[in-house]
Parts: sequence; C-alpha cells; structure tokens
Amino acid sequence: MNVFELKSVTAGYGGAPVMKDLDLQIAGGEFVAIIGPNGAGKSTLLKVMAGDIIPDAGSVSFNGRHLGEYRPRSLARMLSIVHQAVEARAAFSVREFIRMGRFPHQGSLVIEDDRDREVIEWAAETTGVVHLLSRRLTELSGGELQLVRIAHALAQNSSVILLDEPVSHLDIQHAVMIMDILWKLNRGGATVMAVLHDINLASDYSGSIIGMKQGGVFFNGAPREVVRYDLIEALFGTACIVMDNPTTGRPFVYPVPGYIK
Amino acid sequence: MKTSYKILIFIAVSMALLMVSLSLGTRTISPAGMADIILGGPGSADYTILVKLRLPRALLAMVIGASLAVSGTVFQSVLKNPLADPYIIGVSGGAALGATAGIVLDAGQYAVAAAAFAGSIAAISAVYLLSKRMGLGSTALILSGIALGFILSAAVLLIYALLRSDQVHRAMLWLMGDLSGARYDMLNWLGAATLILMAAVMAFHKHLDVVSLGARFSKNLGVTGGNMRALFWIASLLAAVSVSLAGVIGFVGLIVPHLMRSIFGPRHLRLVPAAAAGGALFLLASDTIGRSLVPPYEVPVGIITGFLGGAFFLVFMIRREAGR
Repeated sequence: MNVFELKSVTAGYGGAPVMKDLDLQIAGGEFVAIIGPNGAGKSTLLKVMAGDIIPDAGSVSFNGRHLGEYRPRSLARMLSIVHQAVEARAAFSVREFIRMGRFPHQGSLVIEDDRDREVIEWAAETTGVVHLLSRRLTELSGGELQLVRIAHALAQNSSVILLDEPVSHLDIQHAVMIMDILWKLNRGGATVMAVLHDINLASDYSGSIIGMKQGGVFFNGAPREVVRYDLIEALFGTACIVMDNPTTGRPFVYPVPGYIK
Repeated sequence: MKTSYKILIFIAVSMALLMVSLSLGTRTISPAGMADIILGGPGSADYTILVKLRLPRALLAMVIGASLAVSGTVFQSVLKNPLADPYIIGVSGGAALGATAGIVLDAGQYAVAAAAFAGSIAAISAVYLLSKRMGLGSTALILSGIALGFILSAAVLLIYALLRSDQVHRAMLWLMGDLSGARYDMLNWLGAATLILMAAVMAFHKHLDVVSLGARFSKNLGVTGGNMRALFWIASLLAAVSVSLAGVIGFVGLIVPHLMRSIFGPRHLRLVPAAAAGGALFLLASDTIGRSLVPPYEVPVGIITGFLGGAFFLVFMIRREAGR
C-alpha cells in the first residue's frame, strides 16, 4: 500500500509556488532519497508531506486518508520529521529531549511510563547515543546532536521518518553512521525519505531516488536507472562522470571541474 | 547540588525573608516578639501594623512576584525570545491607560484597579486580533505588542499633559508599582485567580517544554494552535491581574525566569514552580528594601526592582559569560 499519495500538488510560502502540479506515490517500506539543485522544492515536498505546509492545490493522502483529516496529535504518532535546521536549543538533557518524542503518545500527567522508557532506550541504542543520555543538548557536537535528533524522531514514531538533509554538515564518520542507522531502520520495515545533497550516499543507500527540479519530479527510479551521467548532468547543469562504487556496486558520480553548464 | 537541597534552601530563605520583611519598616518589630503580638489579639498598635498592614502587603508582594515571573516564563518559552516579559504584548500600556483614566476621574482604589484590568484586557485582545491576522507567530505578537505599547504610552502621556499635578503624581506612583494598597479581601480573589492560572500553566508544562524548542518542532509533535492560544491567554491574564492590582512592576518577569532557568534547567515541571517561588522572593525583598530604605518615606517597589534587578542581572550575566 502507498504511504503517501500526492495528486497534482501545488504548494509554496505565500508567493510564487515552489512546487507545481506534482504527482508522487511512495510505497510503504521504501527508502527514498530526494536529490536536486538548491531551490528545487525538496524541503517543500517534505514539509507538505508532514503537514507543515497546506498545499495551495491538489491533495496529499497519508496511509489512505487525506492528510488534513488527521488530528495533529494522531498524525504525530504516525510520522516524524527531522528538519534541516534546529530552531532553538535549550539546556535540556538528551534523555529529556528524546522523551519529548513521546509527547503525542502521553496523557497530560505522565512524565515517563514503562512503555516510554522502553522506547526511549531502544531509540538511544539504535542511534548509539546511550552514553550521551545525561548530557545537555547545548554541550553536543554537530554530529552528536544530529544522532540525538534522530533518536527523538524514533521515540516519536519509527514507521515513517522524513529527514531534510540529515548528513549535510557532518563528517564522513557521522554521515555513514546516520545512513547506516536509516538503512537498518528501513530493513526493519520503516519507510524512510531523506533529502540528500550527496548523490553518492543516495545511490549507495536508497531503493529509489527522486530527482527534483524547478518544483517538479525530474526523474524517479532505482539508483541504477537514474544515476546516469546524462540525467545527473541535466538535473544539476554540471558535467559529471559516473562509475561503479566497488564496495556497494552502486553507481557513483563525480563532477568534472570547470564544466558547469 | 540536588534539587531537593535547592528547594530546602529556597524555603528557608523565603521564611527568613518573610520574617525580616514583617519586622522592618518605620517601626521595627523584633521577630521574637511577633508571636506575642499576634496572640495578644487586635487592639495594640503593633498588631495593626503587623497583621493589618505588613502581612497583607508581604503576601501581595509574593503573589504578584510569582504571577509576573510565571507569566514571563511562559512568554519567554512561547515567543522563544529571551527579552520577552509579561508586558511584551502591551498589558502594561493598556493597564496604565485604564488606571490613569480612573485616577483622572478621582476613582477609588478598586475602581482604578478595575479600570486598569479593563485596559489591559483591551490591549491583550487588540494584540491577539492583530497578530492573529498574521498567523499568531512570535514576531507578529512581539511587533504588534510593541507598536500598541507606543500608542498607549503616548495616550497616557497626553493625559498627563492635561492633568492637575496631584493627579499626575498619583498616576506616576501607580505606574512605578505600588503595593501599599494591599488588603485581605483583595488577596482572596487575587490568590484564587493566580492559583487557577498557575495550575493551568502547570497543566501545560510538557507543551511548554516542546514549544520552547520551536514552533515547527512543537507542531510536528502535535501541539495545536488552540494550545498556543490557551498559553497566550493564561500568561496574559496572569500579567493583567498583577498589573491592575500593583501597577507596572518591571523586571521581575524578565530576570527571574532567566535566573531560575539557569539554576533549575529548562524543564517547565521545575521551572514554573521555581519561577513562582523566585518571583515571590524577589518582589518581597525589593518591597522590604523600598519600605525600609529611607523611612518614613517609601521608595516605590518598581524603582527597587529596576535598580536591584538590573544590577543583579548584569553581574549574573557577566559571571556566566566569563564562566564559559
């Protein structure tokens, strides 16, 4: 069954639409990477799917129901999103922060019940942040914070996870660590959608790659089908060479210096 | 330090401060003799001073201080702005205009308070409706609050320009924050209103945690627009109730939440009660100093909170920045 179905969706931020007449289906259990140039509408797509932006036209359905029909709380129990930027940092402990993922599941008087504890500990173990649980959010490095944010998202829900550039500012160790975690979650049945700037990470990890350009879907297919020099060159306007990654067998791309089209 | 120790220290300091506050003034009453005076019953001058004047005033200071600090805590979290305080959305301007209008009409203490309350509710409603058109975002709230504040204070100054000087003086004293009108009947309903509002804040303590990390973050966790509107009104009402009974007492709602956040952390389950206790303590101390600095004259409490709070906060900030 499709987790998401977008039908001729047009959306934006009040001015000119960023996303125009977009159709898209995402099946349950997929690992989807979204790539594309800056301003192509990748973040907007995630925000539309998470219910952050109400589309100007078209319809978005989630698990077979129109997204607008969900109560915010019940939607929050079924879908979590890790945005690109952290809006505000405060000196909460890592455990307190991960526990906030339980907020939509809890009654107003509950701080942390047995089920919450179980889920928090599972989320911390899955993301490898158990040793950070008593640290303050304000003391974490960028890589640690990103792992903790993913743990928070998992504590909230571990079946549908949207991530906007989860590894963009991280060193390769943390980037691979996070991609491995997402891979493992996907293997366990989770639907994962991530906006990535690194085409090679997208190719190595995802089941399908959506290339977005000018607010629409430019291509959508398995890495082998879409990571081709002609498609990538057309998507980014940059001359590229595509070869096979010897460890994963997936195609990988590198740009040719001096050949921006 | 463990939280339980912090709480014990807090209680001990509050009790000590309450004793000091009751004992100091134009006429010093030794804490040791207080029990005898109270047991002696009404009739003595000391009984009147202690039970009819100083005790209600100390209680009023504590309730107002607690309300302002809790209101400031909520505004700082909801608006995610460290400069937010209970007056940021124009409560004080509306109250000042209402109170000044009452004073022009030579109204009594309660009528002035009622006029101030009406003024602040009008100001809150205006800011609410204005910023609702802009989606109730924190920037919209702050900007419409500031704009309305300017208009209201211009209106107050216009009335001053036309008033008799004795009325201006009365209005000015009100504006500086005045706890001298404390009476038990006032404390009853103020206490009840404050308790209800604070219980409401506590019912939202987890919402406040989530909201303090961002509007989008909290929305993705299922916090609704209705929750945000409820928080806005609760915090505004706390501010409106205090300002209409005690005038514009600045700084409590700004610095106490910051201090308490750095001592007790950002979780509102602890932060809100801590802010209430800290605000109560701070305003009681300020009023005690104001009453006993140059007897028999009283320095309005708003002036003391400005001096004391400002200096204390600067030292605190410098030490914290240096400690980084």
